Amino acid sequence: MLGLTTGPVCLASCGPVVLPWMLVQPQGVRWHSRQLLLFLAARLAGYLVFAAAVWLVGSSIPHAWSRRSWLVGGIQVLLAAALVVYAAGWPRRRCALAQPSSQLVQIGEAPRPRTSGALALGFLTGISLCPPFLVAGVRAAQLAHLWAALLFFAFFFVGTAVWFFPYLSLGFVQRTPAVVTVARMVAILLACWYGLSGVSILIERAFYG
Amino acid sequence: MASRSSTLAQPAVFRGVGRSLLLTLPIALWTLLMFTPSFQRAGRDLHIAAAVVILFMTALFFLMMRTGETYRWRRIFFVALGFLFPVGFIASLVAERGTMSIPLSRMVSGDTPFCFMVTPTIILPAAFARTIIFPGAILPTATNTRSIAFMIGLWFAFTLVLGKAWCSYACFFGGIEEGFAAFPKRRRLHRFVTKYGGILRLIPWAILVFVVLLSAAILEPVYCMWLCPFKTVTEFPAVRNVETAIQFGVFVTLFAGLVVALPLLTKKRTQCGFFCPFGAFQSIFNKINLFEIRFNREKCVDCTLCQTACPTVALSKDSIREGKTLLNCMKCGACVDVCKKDAAVWHLKGTPVAVKPERARLLFLYGAWALAVMFGGNILAGSIAAIIGFLPWK
Amino acid sequence: MRARILAILAYTGAALTLLIAVAVPFVLIGAFANAIGHAGLHIDATYSGGTVARTIERNGYRIVVYQPVQPRLLQRSEPFVQVAFEPADALPAQVSDEIDLDGDGRPDVRVSFAVPADPGTPLHGSVTALNGKYVSLANVSGDSFSRLLVRTGDRIVLRIPLNREMAGR
Repeated sequence: MLGLTTGPVCLASCGPVVLPWMLVQPQGVRWHSRQLLLFLAARLAGYLVFAAAVWLVGSSIPHAWSRRSWLVGGIQVLLAAALVVYAAGWPRRRCALAQPSSQLVQIGEAPRPRTSGALALGFLTGISLCPPFLVAGVRAAQLAHLWAALLFFAFFFVGTAVWFFPYLSLGFVQRTPAVVTVARMVAILLACWYGLSGVSILIERAFYG
Repeated sequence: MASRSSTLAQPAVFRGVGRSLLLTLPIALWTLLMFTPSFQRAGRDLHIAAAVVILFMTALFFLMMRTGETYRWRRIFFVALGFLFPVGFIASLVAERGTMSIPLSRMVSGDTPFCFMVTPTIILPAAFARTIIFPGAILPTATNTRSIAFMIGLWFAFTLVLGKAWCSYACFFGGIEEGFAAFPKRRRLHRFVTKYGGILRLIPWAILVFVVLLSAAILEPVYCMWLCPFKTVTEFPAVRNVETAIQFGVFVTLFAGLVVALPLLTKKRTQCGFFCPFGAFQSIFNKINLFEIRFNREKCVDCTLCQTACPTVALSKDSIREGKTLLNCMKCGACVDVCKKDAAVWHLKGTPVAVKPERARLLFLYGAWALAVMFGGNILAGSIAAIIGFLPWK
Repeated sequence: MRARILAILAYTGAALTLLIAVAVPFVLIGAFANAIGHAGLHIDATYSGGTVARTIERNGYRIVVYQPVQPRLLQRSEPFVQVAFEPADALPAQVSDEIDLDGDGRPDVRVSFAVPADPGTPLHGSVTALNGKYVSLANVSGDSFSRLLVRTGDRIVLRIPLNREMAGR
């Protein structure tokens, strides 16, 4: 229930990450379904890692903002880097053959975007420490057994994951060069935002405690 | 009407005075109607200002009818609006609180006037969380007549009529850079704009998606807080810490670069065409708006004068080949006026292209100018009245 | 035939557009504004202070306590609780009060500020937290959305930050 009721928050807060990344993917609902499932699987992994950490370490992670802010700042910086690499597409892999001859025949499909993008972005958004996440963390920390904490978070994940399926509709959006270019630009802008936000949190922690 | 083949630099072919006056009459009557309340209010300054604006707007429309040109006369109104609006607005701020900066008390009390540029960013939070992520009052109050409901209602009604022509007839910021773009005789970065125009005109879309997504995620008006260059000439959060100092620095830098320097160098509306997310948002409404500019391929000789004249790079070789403008066309009329072959024409969707284009132009102009008088004209009158009030011999 | 029908529709649409333009100042703005005004929207709590939790009556004035406002994900602002003293004209020259903010029957903060005769004079005050849930403020004025003492119209608004460590943020 917690997942279902807080799902819209996840949808809105993960939207800036998911939307530009999905728009640089090729068109097609089948491809998007696979990418979304990978993203959600990585997100679940993040949830379970957090659940285990919270249960083992105790509920100090959710409560202590001063300790948590190091994590939040670091995660935002990593998210910025992941957006630059997987959504904006930097650095581009350079082909050893810089100017392929027009007589070369392409064998097989053109190279697909890397699925590691789904995993990286999914995992990082999964450990983003949003307020509903922390509420779940507090409850998980109070459970008697580790498997109970993991199970609690798994169900919490299911509740939030339901809200991500509307993103599949992005598979129908036509991938004109303009759409892909705009998506890349959005990814760069968001990377700047997350990066600056993360760095400022870390600086604030480092200098002001 | 004599055939019109004029450029912005060459003499125009004129329509008869009598016919021009007849076509201007509805606008003259409308203008008088719109300013009747001004004459009923006390204040000689306001009466003088209203009279000036009535003559000004009516004369400009008459010249549009007489010369058959749109862009030159519309630009005079638009630049006047762009430069005079900040004058009147800043004057009212200084009179009221002695500063342009917004104290927090104003934001907390709901007295902040709503700016239409924040409209796209408030839609998602309003739809899903029923929350308006902007300080102000939902309904008009005694201390805040420019409430959120009023301004959104105004924006919606205008957009139904104008589509993206809002950026040519209503936006009280666009005239500033249009004014700076008009000053220089030569373009200095023309090759850069031509070469990268395709990428540059996508930036407003990227900024639109960015601010909409992020504002929905963090429930803050990101564009207003960090990216609006026009805070420099209106009001901005008071500088009280490092964060607000950085914000102010960003506003001033963007204004100096996008609104002053780049228009002077390129003779383009660079903020409007290469940055403004609200402009990108308005472009969407061009899809449903009935008026557009089209190109008669039989007459077009691909001279690219229209591309050079377009202030927002809303024309590309491909689009002209297809006989259309791009989605970000703001219907300013520059391309139509500059075309020597009369290939660029006003068009009403659903009718044949280049058949009675003047009729389409008239139908569009009546609606656009009526709204320009109602909105921009009143702003001009208020600003002129404020200036008269400051005159030393008063 | 099809072209003729399209043209008729086009000119009808153009005429309607003109009608809309003329109707804007007289009817349309008001109609749209009313629709939005009755759509059940509210101003974000960061600006409005949130919803009213309870009202405490005092001698000649009242203290309105609001629900705590929590920042959202990616926001770094502090959680705060807003308190309003109204009507401002009925306040004594010096306000000093202990207020129960969370409704548990025990005072949570001690508030002290002077009320100047001129409404335009900036306010300064202090807040002493009586438990760990709230943050004490010395010489608070118009500092930030979460640390605020300002006059707005006929009331004085005070915002007291919650202790982040305790607020679970």
